[in-house]
Amino acid sequence: MIGYHFGRGRAKWSPYLLLFPGIFIYLLIALGPSLATSVYSFTNATGIKGAPIEWIGLDNYREFLFMGQASLDNYAALGRTLVFCFFVTTIQFTLGLIVAILVNQKLKGTNFFRTLFFMPVILGAVIQGLIWSLFLYPLGGPVARLLEFFGTSSEFFGGQPTEAFAWVIAVQIWANMGTTMIIFISGLQTIPDELYEAARIDGASGWQVFQHVTWPLLTPSVNTNLLLNIIGSLQAWQLFLVLLGYRNGTQVLGYLVYATGFGQTSGSVTSSFRQGYAAAASIVLFFLVLILGLAAQTVLQRREERILG
Amino acid sequence: MRKTVLFSIVALVILSMLLSACASAATPAPAVEGDAQAPAAAEKVTLKVLVHQNPPMVEFMEAFNKTFSEKYPNITIDMAVVNANDLSTVTQTRLTANDVDVVDIFGFANAAQSYMKNVDPPNWQTLIEAGYLLDISDQPFIKNYDEATIQDAGSYNGKVYSVNLGRVSYSGIYYNKDMFTANNVAVPTTWSELVAACETFSAADIPCMTAGGKDGWPIFVGAYGLTGALYPDQAALVEGLWTGTIKWNDAKAVEMWDKMKVYAQDMMESGASGIAGDAAPGRFASGAVAMFPGGTWYASAIEAAEPSFEWGYIPFPGSDNPDDNKYLFGKYDQGWAVAAKTANKDAAMLYLSEFSDPANYQAFANAVGFIPTQPTATLDTQIGQEVAPYLANFRVGYEQYWVAPKGAGQYANPFASYFKPFGTYDDSQELADKVQADLQSGLDANQ
Repeated sequence: MIGYHFGRGRAKWSPYLLLFPGIFIYLLIALGPSLATSVYSFTNATGIKGAPIEWIGLDNYREFLFMGQASLDNYAALGRTLVFCFFVTTIQFTLGLIVAILVNQKLKGTNFFRTLFFMPVILGAVIQGLIWSLFLYPLGGPVARLLEFFGTSSEFFGGQPTEAFAWVIAVQIWANMGTTMIIFISGLQTIPDELYEAARIDGASGWQVFQHVTWPLLTPSVNTNLLLNIIGSLQAWQLFLVLLGYRNGTQVLGYLVYATGFGQTSGSVTSSFRQGYAAAASIVLFFLVLILGLAAQTVLQRREERILG
Repeated sequence: MRKTVLFSIVALVILSMLLSACASAATPAPAVEGDAQAPAAAEKVTLKVLVHQNPPMVEFMEAFNKTFSEKYPNITIDMAVVNANDLSTVTQTRLTANDVDVVDIFGFANAAQSYMKNVDPPNWQTLIEAGYLLDISDQPFIKNYDEATIQDAGSYNGKVYSVNLGRVSYSGIYYNKDMFTANNVAVPTTWSELVAACETFSAADIPCMTAGGKDGWPIFVGAYGLTGALYPDQAALVEGLWTGTIKWNDAKAVEMWDKMKVYAQDMMESGASGIAGDAAPGRFASGAVAMFPGGTWYASAIEAAEPSFEWGYIPFPGSDNPDDNKYLFGKYDQGWAVAAKTANKDAAMLYLSEFSDPANYQAFANAVGFIPTQPTATLDTQIGQEVAPYLANFRVGYEQYWVAPKGAGQYANPFASYFKPFGTYDDSQELADKVQADLQSGLDANQ
């Protein structure tokens, strides 16, 4: 008979008591506000405590999804969100894997490079944005001068929406690649050296070693990184706030939620706060993340079962 | 025994967490009414003040705060500065958290009008109705300000909630006097003269204009004079747009769009989209460009950047009829309001009272270049002298009246920044049709 590790009587409650703080914090700062947001989405809440709140049913959703040109602009933002997610996920994932493999070598200086690649992660969006605003200053910034040398120029974040959007993608990747790298490094370090030795003895090339040893055994890290990248990029908004502000043709859903909730959409400093409407927008974003996240997780889980058994 | 101790420790931790959460929920922040007892004068008080970023204003306020604290040593001023775009958000957050005493608040504007359907109230109205701004109607320092300003920019439902500190014009152009003289260019009084002036400068490899394009709004605000020259009654413009008697793609509006295209593409310097709003005055003062369309609040920054720089300020000549170009359009800018839940009401009133003293107010108006809202104040500054001839024709601008209908698209505004290189449009008629379609979509959705 298998012994019960935590004993009998009151002691058997220990695991639940130990779990309770974490669950309590999760309920307090994650699930609770999320449930409150879903309730607010059916109201005309301004977000100002003490201001009257009225139940308006599905009006916010009707406005966000079906009312006039504004709803079409919201669909365009949704499209841009998906484009942003695709490019950030694929490029960040690929670069993170390459960099992880490089810095996982037993060479001098790899610790320095690990730190260097991870440093942007800890800077925060404001510092990240400031660095790149200065770097990409169109009137004499370092990159502008370099482009001048080649006889060309760019407005960078002030340029056409497509160009500005592409630069935000680049900064997002730069800012978060360190996390992808760290997760891959931890995965690489779980792969036994004996497998690599055996493969080399069998005459496998570098690519064959990667294909048949590294890549399959990295599956858990691959799955974690893909999920984090997809979910993180779908929800991104801070760099849009810092680098672009409310510019037509560049908003993603995450930024629209912020801009609507805090009166940033009209260009006037007296704009209304519409946090009930913003809550509805955030629920739409939630369902987008849920659908894509669940789909990704299902595919990745099946892949993991197939590869690792 | 060990398991029992472990169980007890875990249970105690959980219990303490529960108690602290319940305690926070059960003890609401004290609601200090406007006439609650404030700390005695000798008691040490930290007065929290929130202002928006306006370099000459911030510099003045730092000096004022120092003098104030020297006069009232028991009161320490803790002033926070935020970007103007973020002021309303931070104000709401800090008022809700009861974490601020005195707030900088822009003149009350964008109220819902009778012809507007299904619009939300502006943020200042919501704050007042939720009880976050203190009624200061009975404060003696109110009388230092002119009555029209108190009524137009600081009152709601018959009560005073803010003293407004000044009007600004945002429809004028600063020009470099030396550069004009050196290139034999006369100060333009009509649109054609402005175009010709820019062509002359461009031919001499001098960028005609600059603006803080990185912040977005300086580009379209810089062109408000173009809108004003064609639609001098901006309140009527807003009503006409709502009622359908004015459209953004009628012949008059297309003329405006044609001119905005020239402004955005031919007059504004290349790279303006990367210049931060705070950096633009310095760039103008450095002599890099001939002109700088912008608000009167930039004057102090220009003088600070280059004290010997010779500049002038004229209304943006958006029409070929000089009589159409005599107006200055603007708004009521910064004002002071007091948090209704402040625990430091006496200190806050003392602060506003000192600030409102005519001598201090005059110094403030001189420092920031506002058009004064105290009748005893004079326009002592250069910007004051530049705008003085036009003050009788000062009008509140479109931006202070406009409320977009719900469902309207993102392009439902007269913004020059829709044109390349700041936006995506190159054709005036195409843009005019798009702007009207975006607006019409909202109007139709609220029928």
